Amino acid sequence: MAGRRNSRGRRAFGALCLALALAPVLLRAVTLADLLSDPEMTPKRFADYFENFQYEYHEEVQDPVVFLRTQRGDCDDYAILSDYVLGRRGLETRLVHVRMVGQEAHDVCYVVSVRSYLDYNLRAYYRNLERSGPTVREIATKVAESFKSNWTSASEYTYTYDEGVKHMVFTVVKTDSPSEDPDYPNPR
Amino acid sequence: MKDQTISRILIFFLFISAVLVYVAYESVRNIDRSMASSDWVNHTHEVILEVNGVLSSVRAGDSAVHTYVITGDPASKAVCHEAFGVLGGRLDSGELGEHLQVAEADTRNEPAQHDEILRLIGLAGKRADFARALLAAHQSGDTGSVRSLLAADEGAEANREIQNLVRKVTSEEMALLADRDQASYLQADNTRKTVWSGVVIDFLLLGGVAWLIRDDIATRRRAAAALRESNEQLEARVLARTADLASANEKLLAENLERRWGNQALEHQLRYNHLIVNSISDLVFVLTKAMNISRINPAVVHQTGFEAEELINRPFSSVVQLLDDNPGADALLLNPGPPLAAVVPMIGGIMGSEGPLIDPLTHALSEGRDLRDLPAIVEDRRGRKTAASLTLFPLRDRDKVVGGVAILQVAQEKA
Repeated sequence: MAGRRNSRGRRAFGALCLALALAPVLLRAVTLADLLSDPEMTPKRFADYFENFQYEYHEEVQDPVVFLRTQRGDCDDYAILSDYVLGRRGLETRLVHVRMVGQEAHDVCYVVSVRSYLDYNLRAYYRNLERSGPTVREIATKVAESFKSNWTSASEYTYTYDEGVKHMVFTVVKTDSPSEDPDYPNPR
Repeated sequence: MKDQTISRILIFFLFISAVLVYVAYESVRNIDRSMASSDWVNHTHEVILEVNGVLSSVRAGDSAVHTYVITGDPASKAVCHEAFGVLGGRLDSGELGEHLQVAEADTRNEPAQHDEILRLIGLAGKRADFARALLAAHQSGDTGSVRSLLAADEGAEANREIQNLVRKVTSEEMALLADRDQASYLQADNTRKTVWSGVVIDFLLLGGVAWLIRDDIATRRRAAAALRESNEQLEARVLARTADLASANEKLLAENLERRWGNQALEHQLRYNHLIVNSISDLVFVLTKAMNISRINPAVVHQTGFEAEELINRPFSSVVQLLDDNPGADALLLNPGPPLAAVVPMIGGIMGSEGPLIDPLTHALSEGRDLRDLPAIVEDRRGRKTAASLTLFPLRDRDKVVGGVAILQVAQEKA
């Protein structure tokens, strides 16, 4: 009886030591290098890295290193970083900026191959990718639905960390006929 | 009645359903229209925001580039960069670029406003170009160029022009906003009226249904009451008829009893009559109207030697003949002669008449008269004749002579 108790205590102590040894690794924030070097990187896996990130609004797009270190940021930090990382993995991505009534515009990163977009608001959910059609209108409609709001216009844009400026590619207006959209019927 | 009511109720419900479907359809259509109007209102707000954003960006960029040139503060350069985006290229970056592109896209289907936005793009582009030139001159350290650029700049005028254009676009968009808001209000009002009208019509139809159901229930109650009353009357009549039948039955039973008693009495009487008739020593013949024998008493059998079966249905005259009060008749009695059939013509000859001797009897019967104590003779089986006194009574049935009874008292044979 006493021998069994000693054996159980030794096992618990071993587990505690292992946990303490691995803690720095487990708790270490993910880095840009981690993301870029992950051989199994997929949109879903990318989103999983951000499960515990907090929301913090910034006027400007944050440097990715700062964003990852602080684990705080907003929608365009996340969308632009996912565009940057997944783009380097050879995935076709599109950055979409959706303007809604009475609130801040929202940015998402659409991944063409999985017909879904990455949304910072979904980072904590198991389903952290939202399926959508490929046109900016369809993406904007889905994003506005998630906010239970109306959208007014949405733009596809590009961004590079080197330049630090958003370049608008084209803008889709909700009140226009879909056939007037620049990405109709064939998505760009 | 029932089918009609159900049909009417079904028709009412069809109307109610049709109204509901119409109201739902109209409401959804109006909601869609209202959403579209709302989108247009939002769209107009966005245009106003974007053109004002253009003005703000131009002002912010202008002031930042001036500040940077004067102070060399990199923050001001960053603000300029943020406002005008990447200088020297297309106006597709920075706040100004975004505002202009969105405003241009928003007014794509509003030609007047679109022209103004294009003009605005031109004016804003000039300000961006000026900023680019100023920054380039500053970076090259060419103070003279910077001064000449600043001196030649008509920034205030250009900004005023941009401001006026923005105000104009804003004013036009506000007018559009008023129109679109009014359209939105009218659609909402239309939806409200449609829904309320539908509700009122449906309530009226439901009231009609309720009235129909109430009427039907009242009719059914009346019919049930009438049926109950009819049943009660029928029951009362059945009871009365049963009582009548019971009474009649009792009466019939009593009558039957009485009739049985009467029949028994009649049978007794008949038997006594037979006994009486059979006990009489006189010869009794019951005759039909045609003067045939229908019944006899035992005295006849005894006297004539014929059996009853032999005499029944035979003419009375074959056994009994009337005699006239003449000596020839007595002689016939005293001297038994030929059989009766042979005697009859002789009797006729004796009587000196043309018709048969029966005639007086037939005549008396036809007249319903009695004949009393007429002399006659009775012939027996052996042909022997016996004198007798004949009395005839007619038999009546309801004042109609149906036959007669002949009684013969046989005289004592002369020694």
